Amino acid sequence: MRIATSRPQQVYRRNKGVLNLLHLDGWLLLGILLLLATSAAVVYSASGGSDAVIFRHLVRIGFALGLLFLFAQIPPTLLYIFTPWLFLFGLILLIAVPIFGDIGKGAQRWLEIGPIRFQPSELMKLVLPLMVAWLFAHSKLPPSFERIVVALVVIGVTSGLIVIQPDLGTSLLIAMSGLFVVFFAGLPWRVILLAIAGVVASAPIAWQFMHAYQKQRVLTFLNPESDPLGSGYHIIQSKIAIGSGGLEGKGFMGSTQAHLDFLPESTTDFIFSVLSEEFGLLGVILLLALYTFVIARGLYISSQAQDNFTRLIAASLTMTLFVYAFVNIGMVSGLLPVVGLPLPLISYGGSSLVTLMISFGILMSIHTHKKLLTAKDPEG
Amino acid sequence: MTEHLEFHSDQERLQQKRLLRFRLYFALGFVLVLFLFLIGRMAYLQWYNFDRYHGLAEGNRISIEILPPTRGKIYDRNHVLLADNQPVYAIKMIREKMTDIDAVQQALQKLMPEVDPESMDKFFKRFKQGNRVKPYTLPFTLDEQQAAEYAVIGYQFPGVTLSARLKRVYPFHEHAVHALGYVGRINQKELQKLDPALYRGTDIIGKSGIEKYYEPILHGQPGVQQVETNARGRVLRKLETLPAIPGQDIHLTLDIKLQQYAESLFTQKRGGLVALDPQNGEVLAYVSMPTFDPNLFVDGIAHDTYRDLLNNPNRPFINRVINGQYPPGSTIKPFVALGAIENNVISPSKKIYDPGYFEYKNHRYRDWKRTGHGFVDMDAAITQSCDTYFYMLSLDMGIDNIHDALYPFGFGHRTGIDLYGESRGILPSQEWKRETKGKPWYRGETIISSIGQGYNLATPLQLAQATAVLANRGKVVQPHLLRMPLSEPSEQIEIKNIDNWERVITAMSHVMHSKKGTAHKHALDLGFKMAGKTGTAQVFSLKEANYNADEIDKSLHDHSLFIGFAPIDKPKIAVAVIVENGGSGSKTAAPMAVQLIKHYLEEQAKIPTGSGDQAS
Repeated sequence: MRIATSRPQQVYRRNKGVLNLLHLDGWLLLGILLLLATSAAVVYSASGGSDAVIFRHLVRIGFALGLLFLFAQIPPTLLYIFTPWLFLFGLILLIAVPIFGDIGKGAQRWLEIGPIRFQPSELMKLVLPLMVAWLFAHSKLPPSFERIVVALVVIGVTSGLIVIQPDLGTSLLIAMSGLFVVFFAGLPWRVILLAIAGVVASAPIAWQFMHAYQKQRVLTFLNPESDPLGSGYHIIQSKIAIGSGGLEGKGFMGSTQAHLDFLPESTTDFIFSVLSEEFGLLGVILLLALYTFVIARGLYISSQAQDNFTRLIAASLTMTLFVYAFVNIGMVSGLLPVVGLPLPLISYGGSSLVTLMISFGILMSIHTHKKLLTAKDPEG
Repeated sequence: MTEHLEFHSDQERLQQKRLLRFRLYFALGFVLVLFLFLIGRMAYLQWYNFDRYHGLAEGNRISIEILPPTRGKIYDRNHVLLADNQPVYAIKMIREKMTDIDAVQQALQKLMPEVDPESMDKFFKRFKQGNRVKPYTLPFTLDEQQAAEYAVIGYQFPGVTLSARLKRVYPFHEHAVHALGYVGRINQKELQKLDPALYRGTDIIGKSGIEKYYEPILHGQPGVQQVETNARGRVLRKLETLPAIPGQDIHLTLDIKLQQYAESLFTQKRGGLVALDPQNGEVLAYVSMPTFDPNLFVDGIAHDTYRDLLNNPNRPFINRVINGQYPPGSTIKPFVALGAIENNVISPSKKIYDPGYFEYKNHRYRDWKRTGHGFVDMDAAITQSCDTYFYMLSLDMGIDNIHDALYPFGFGHRTGIDLYGESRGILPSQEWKRETKGKPWYRGETIISSIGQGYNLATPLQLAQATAVLANRGKVVQPHLLRMPLSEPSEQIEIKNIDNWERVITAMSHVMHSKKGTAHKHALDLGFKMAGKTGTAQVFSLKEANYNADEIDKSLHDHSLFIGFAPIDKPKIAVAVIVENGGSGSKTAAPMAVQLIKHYLEEQAKIPTGSGDQAS
């Protein structure tokens, strides 16, 4: 335990600089901007060089960057105060969906408020980890058994409301973001191993409760060639796109798979296939390196945070980004079933980009809103 | 938050931090391992299997083409085609392959002078900003002549291709459009509700009428075709094919010849007419005037044309047969009379004296005949349409009994015809007024209700159905437009005295054939006997008639109504006619209905027995 006589001075020094005054984190911002630039290039190519699409995409990116900046200004203490209310609001919206929601493509996920079509589950991607972290902010870590149970109930109710929409994929991912908080809070390892064993054992039971289209996806995943005219077709074509990219790729605007319309959703869910076709294995490695850089920075921010609440949300939001990237890439390369999930920061589309940028804003806020610590503070 | 921290000891804090640090390192390791695993997967696909996938992508390849189903055709009852599919030609363009887009626009505009240059411009503007490698289809189609002309000049334009597809065509144009409906392009809202698997490859959908109601039957199921294409996307050969299942053809109960004749009776008039076969509820003619041409909607209607139709003061888009709600006026008198004698409110032979008005609570309710009808019994009250007779019995009968007597005939609820959006009409009762207006019923309102005024509203279809049920002596049939092999089992309105049917029907025949009957001058040398009832509905509020009301003579503000059926013994046709602001029922609606019935029976007589007349 070092005596931190020089610490306050160090904190003061860190507070200097334009980026810090704006509550931005330079390294994280750099990683994000590089990913967004990649996104602009690939979306342009995947849309077949559509000026209209790239214009809309850039507008959305600008809007999302604005939101990042806005959320970076909100101090975590304020976020802490609002968390339970935001969660309550999100729950009410989720309950409203089956009642007032518009049935879009077989699932009631959208809620129309005036002219805005809105997906409450998108809000929950952010608010659920905040809420679970809020629960643990009071207690010492690792948390008591009772607190873990409360957290699990909160996670279960939220993802349960999304399952009935029905949207199994999203509900699992949202549950995951909450479970990350529990993990970082210090859930005992034996409990984690037991839970994993339990999930594996109960898979056959879950199968009984799945919708026909969900079963179809799993079956197609296990054997895409079984349905080459239907849903397996997407995966086959996606693998052809990726594989034909080779080491160096076909070059910018060179994706024949997307341009000849073999790839479905080439600007959104399957954009990774376009990227790997055009930029090859090297491009893929670069992309994953960029993701790793952003994730590492996020985890670093968590390690430097000053209290349990901000530590836990920083770590959880970062890991959520990882899960989304991993699941999307796994899906388009045939490792995971098709769940309909965009590639974070790269896919064309509004709501996922907005959610991600807000979470980056929160990360930056955590890193730049630090209390000046007194010498009395033992850990500094 | 800070205050909570103070509860923990320094030791605990350090432990917490260590725990988190360790888990963060673990997470980072987890991320690295899984990303390396992904890179391994990519290396497997892009490096180890590169040759295989490269071959698949570059060489011949398999692609899927959707085969849209052919929409079912619609015929009338005599197998005359009402909705057909005809080949038209569409232009497809791929921007990447085109050399001079403006030249193509000019050539197409010259080829299709009927297309509004503004819409053409709009499309090309969007096209130039869109995807440069995907084909775009010009939203305007070419007929055979234009396609042939294009074929001559087409070689100059690389990247532009001509392809044939089927287009919905309504050969009878504006006739029967309100029953038949039309198709149009699928819009965003419909898209969300459709099964994407069923509608991939389809871009039109039934928007109204039969086309909408029987969409699931008419649409069919798309097929898929696996084709081998080369790297540039050209089809080399067809592999597996799952053929499309075409939509079913359907037959309607309409008789398009009778329909056209019925529409011709409406020269320059607005209104509705329904002719039913009382035996089975088949709709023989379904007229809502004025009409419009459904062909305008198939490929998307021009904005100006649509606005003009929408703003037309005669409101051609309103489906008057099921959505026009009119005060039924005196046409409900036969049904009220039947209810009254059934409930023993009055004996049919009892005569009452009509001085030309009925006084209740210091208010005079006037008969349409100012001088009065003198002594009238039930038969005379219907024959001469005496209002005072019904004013008197209505107070003894009460509004709820009137409601209960008329309800089984179809008033006040939907007939259940196979069309969407049917209106209910209004058959008032005490309960109805309490629920909708929140006010108690006043007896004075019963008086005007008894002659089909006040709150009462009925659609032409409801009036036609009520007439059919009366013609059937109580057998309720469901009106329908789709010709079905067997009609559903029908209900029977039970009454205490079967003779009462004949009493009312005889009175209705006197309307046509007795000297005092309100419509007798239109049935002078008819050659057969029919039953009928005229009605003149006062338009109290000009809400639904506020269009050009000023131009019409005051007496013409009234709606002209008529219901009737023939022959009396074995009814073959039941008709309801409403002419908006047509004046009195006897003057305008009655002759139209008589002509239609006469025309129909004459045409039926020409058909050799056995077809179209299963009852005899």
